[in-house]
Amino acid sequence: MRLRASGLVKVFPGVRALDGVNFELRPGTVHALLGENGAGKSTLIKVLTGVHRSDGGTVEVAADEGDWTEVGFAHPHASREAGIGVVHQERNLVPAFSVAENIALQQLPSKRGVVDRAAVRRIAADCLAQLDLELDLDQPVSRLSVAQMQLVEIAKALATDSRVLFLDEPTSSLTPDEADRLYTVVARLRDRGCCVVLVSHKLEEVFAIADTVTVLRDGRSVCEGASLSGLTRGEVVDLMVGRSFADLEPDTSRVPDRSGVPALELDRVATDGGHTDVSLTVHPGEIVGLYGLVGAGRSELARALLGLDKIVSGDVRVRGKAVSISSVGEALHRHRIGYVTENRKEEGVFLEQTISRNVAVTVWRRLARLGMLRDRAEDSLLDTYVEKLGIRVSGPRQLAGQLSGGNQQKVSLAKWLAADCSILVIDEPTVGIDVRTKAAFHNLIAELAADGLAILLITSDLPEMVTLADRILVMHDHRITGEVDNAAHSYEVASKQVVRLMHAESAA
Amino acid sequence: MTDLMPQAAAAPPEAELARPASLPWWANPRVGLVAVIAGLVVLFSSLRPSFLNVDLTLVPMQADIAVFAVVGLAQLAVLSLGHMNLAVPRMAALSAFAAGFVYDRMGVPLLVGLLVALLVGALIGAVSGLIITSTGVNSFVVTLALDFGLLGLVSLLYAWFANGVAFSVRPAGMDSLRFDTMSDYCAGNVCGPPIPLVVPFALVAIVAVGLFFRRSRVGREILMTGSSIRAARLSGIPVARRIVQAHGLSGLLCGLAGWLLAMNNGAFSATLGEQFLLPSFLAPVLGGTLLAGGAVSVLGTVLGATLTTVIQKGLNLLQFELDQLNILIGSVLLVALSLDRVRHVLAEKRGTRA
Amino acid sequence: MSAPTISRTTPRVRVTTELVLAVLAGLAIVVLTITTNGNLLQPGTIRAVLQFLAVPMVIGLSQMVVLAVGQMNLSVGVLTGLTAVVAASLMVDQGLSPWLAVPAALLVGGLAGLANGLLVVLTRINGFIVTLATMTIISGLRYGVNGTGTYQNYSPGLVDFGQSSLLGIPVVFLLAVLVALVVAWFFRRSVVGRNMLASGGNPIAAMLSGISNDRSVVLAHTLSGLLAGVAGVMVLMMSGSVNASIGDDLLLPSFAAPIIGGVALVGGVVSVLGTSLAALIVRLVDVAQAQYNINPRWVDLVVGGVVLGAVLLSQSRDRKDDA
Repeated sequence: MRLRASGLVKVFPGVRALDGVNFELRPGTVHALLGENGAGKSTLIKVLTGVHRSDGGTVEVAADEGDWTEVGFAHPHASREAGIGVVHQERNLVPAFSVAENIALQQLPSKRGVVDRAAVRRIAADCLAQLDLELDLDQPVSRLSVAQMQLVEIAKALATDSRVLFLDEPTSSLTPDEADRLYTVVARLRDRGCCVVLVSHKLEEVFAIADTVTVLRDGRSVCEGASLSGLTRGEVVDLMVGRSFADLEPDTSRVPDRSGVPALELDRVATDGGHTDVSLTVHPGEIVGLYGLVGAGRSELARALLGLDKIVSGDVRVRGKAVSISSVGEALHRHRIGYVTENRKEEGVFLEQTISRNVAVTVWRRLARLGMLRDRAEDSLLDTYVEKLGIRVSGPRQLAGQLSGGNQQKVSLAKWLAADCSILVIDEPTVGIDVRTKAAFHNLIAELAADGLAILLITSDLPEMVTLADRILVMHDHRITGEVDNAAHSYEVASKQVVRLMHAESAA
Repeated sequence: MTDLMPQAAAAPPEAELARPASLPWWANPRVGLVAVIAGLVVLFSSLRPSFLNVDLTLVPMQADIAVFAVVGLAQLAVLSLGHMNLAVPRMAALSAFAAGFVYDRMGVPLLVGLLVALLVGALIGAVSGLIITSTGVNSFVVTLALDFGLLGLVSLLYAWFANGVAFSVRPAGMDSLRFDTMSDYCAGNVCGPPIPLVVPFALVAIVAVGLFFRRSRVGREILMTGSSIRAARLSGIPVARRIVQAHGLSGLLCGLAGWLLAMNNGAFSATLGEQFLLPSFLAPVLGGTLLAGGAVSVLGTVLGATLTTVIQKGLNLLQFELDQLNILIGSVLLVALSLDRVRHVLAEKRGTRA
Repeated sequence: MSAPTISRTTPRVRVTTELVLAVLAGLAIVVLTITTNGNLLQPGTIRAVLQFLAVPMVIGLSQMVVLAVGQMNLSVGVLTGLTAVVAASLMVDQGLSPWLAVPAALLVGGLAGLANGLLVVLTRINGFIVTLATMTIISGLRYGVNGTGTYQNYSPGLVDFGQSSLLGIPVVFLLAVLVALVVAWFFRRSVVGRNMLASGGNPIAAMLSGISNDRSVVLAHTLSGLLAGVAGVMVLMMSGSVNASIGDDLLLPSFAAPIIGGVALVGGVVSVLGTSLAALIVRLVDVAQAQYNINPRWVDLVVGGVVLGAVLLSQSRDRKDDA
């Protein structure tokens, strides 16, 4: 079976998640779908598997030798019936049901309304055998480990006879051995004439088993169905993050002063979340970057710093003084540390509240007289930041949820500036934001540093990292594995060093 | 050969959404409520002129509105968080018991008893909030189970301390609250309007709650918590503390409602507050408060309570039975919920707040 | 290729809620037998205990069915009353034979449940609030049939049947057991039942697997109403006289049985055995209360407290972040 998407568009409030994607799948291939966070991969999969309806463009299928016919998937099981299977990133198992029943859930075999238990077990056993996996078929999945659950999900996808199988980060919780077994299955499926689409952040994995690649960036397909044998790793990374940034003039005018007391210092910090021996310093006016893959533990470190997770050993020093932070409020009001979250919609802004409240929420304590607030004070505060950050709003009473992604991100940032923070942790600031606003954000962050803020920048966008960070720390598996000096802000030099550090660490 | 060159640096136009329009004034729930109330008053008074009789109808109606407005506010206090308080009936009963107890056993003055009721209510509300934040169990379940538990407790307490079912003590001032209106108090030749004396208590509560959510920092932080608990936590709002405070406020208002009802009825009984649950939701929902949290309307709740009471009084005069009243009230809630849903869908389409 | 993944071994005997309840019930029976000098095991006492266990058991199952999909039905109690009164009215006022009146009562229950389900799905409002409203409506409707009057002598044949016993076991209890078995089978083996549990257990997974969550909710409410109707018919059969106040005291037992029986409030889990055992234990507590002349308020308090405890215990085990 062949599948083709042309000019696919999907719009969510505030962002064009898919902006004209072209995507073609051929049988007997392993097709990698790559892109950074927010590029549109998950959305593309959801549109092609019937979870979302597209807002434009066409999807067509054809038999191996036949003609193209247009299809529209109104519902997940419509796409499944068309022969498309999927293993999503999130777990979708029914906790109280057995392993066997979960595997067979999509097409529960039955005789006259009664579940055919023997058939269920047969299907499940068959799928598990394909994965060379032994699990107790009757055990409720709630008692399995995360890795086992992921394997059950994969077995579930095998249960429906798919001609196209989407795997979204399938090995994120698997051991290398388990992953190897999966690769064997993928190869077997390919040999049977299926097309397996692999979404993965692990380039080693991609280069090991895929033969074709499509790269998405900012909701568009920048590389469509290229043969992987003709590409190097570096070229693929370039496509994902956009060479246009590498061409930018590096701004070396800002030279941070490292002579004084660091604004923030972590000294051999270990956390409940698994971090060990993490040490870093950030001076006022400096931008220190934390680079790494999803799952390396960067955001988790930031959260531990803010008191949302336990720090079990090591010291945290703010402006030279050892501190123990137990809540975000304490981090904000006592130590003037702010955290611009990576999850803008659910944690960065209050979508259902007005913009003025969104910006003023961190300073209400300061604005209040006898515990009461006046709208006027809030509004004037908003005006200041609308101007300073260039936020496009129609009025202070506009709801934050109506703004575009870029403007929402500015609002998310504004509340920390309003609170006069001197230390900012910025997590993935430009995910899902268009190119022009991205550049504006970079200037903004650089300006903040120039004004004396100490900034810890977490981002998976390498060009962004190189543009902004004065030093880049590479994080892998909850540990800092190396540091790259980036005073020259040269993409050629820094990216090589960073990638080398990444590969030295990540297991195949 | 497929294209490997990166996209040209042309940025897509910023996906601006249309300038939001607010809902047209006639779709504003508060305006709708006033219109419906006015219409019903006209309808009932033309069918039964005694509807407009001051002593027979208008005065007792105000007393009822006072109670049910406060009941509605008690639920509104946690709706702000997107929570529910299903223990409103029993929190009111327990607080009223406490007041009756101190009147009966300690002979305290009227207002001291009120304070005791408020305190007990606030305490049990805070406990409810604490259970919610410390166990992570949702408010629905906790308050439902709490209501079950308190049910037995209240009966037991009355059985032990009040010879069965009620305190029949009459602290000084209770009779005035029950029977007098402001028109019974004259300064020289000018007498007050025919407003029952319980009304000012409710008014104070209404204004206080209104100011609390509109202007105070704590109230706003509670609303933000209701809007998005994760964003609130990450903005430095002490979320657990706010949850306890909101539930405590709810309990306090239950206490006030229970005390006011006891004043109206002239007795403190174990079954007090039994009828509170449905109206506690009905008033805020009618008034446009969202069940999802983040936005409340105190004025809407008062209007909602007014509408419910007007309907009840009017149907009473038309000699509907209690059961028929029940059928109607239940239906009104269902209609209100459906309309709320319609409003929500409309608001989403226009991109404004409902 | 390395060794395949080893599965977790299942321990020999799992300490389930059902086991605990069975032990508790057993203990209660032993204690009561001893302290009543064997009175508990007299055929007359056994008959009385079982006869008054039938309705709470079925009512508990009626609530359990909606809990399975993560919903609640506040109208179960008053619906029982409505169906009983309607059936009696059909027999007395309309002269219908019980063979018609009983199915009609069941139909009323099912339709009311269906209405509940449709309202929940269409308004997208929490089932608690919707059924709070319908409970109020149905509560009033009960009085619409015959006011506060009582129906008696509607069908001597039916009442004879309802009060009779088979081998010492009351017929109504046997009926309740039959209902329980059917419900248990429904959720264990039928596709529809498994779909409902999937909807309750993980609505997203269910949706992705092609199961309609809306349909599950509507079905659950319809079934719940039907079971409330069955309870109403049982009341009709057992007591010989019905009036509009029936069902007022059935709401708490309808929750207590499944909750104590281990049914999760979030949905996805059912336990017919647990619910029935819990109903039995509550019944035994009632017996003890009558036997030792304990103030019934204590019973209420304890049951309420146990429900609170059971809920908190089971829910805090899987903590949710959105308090």
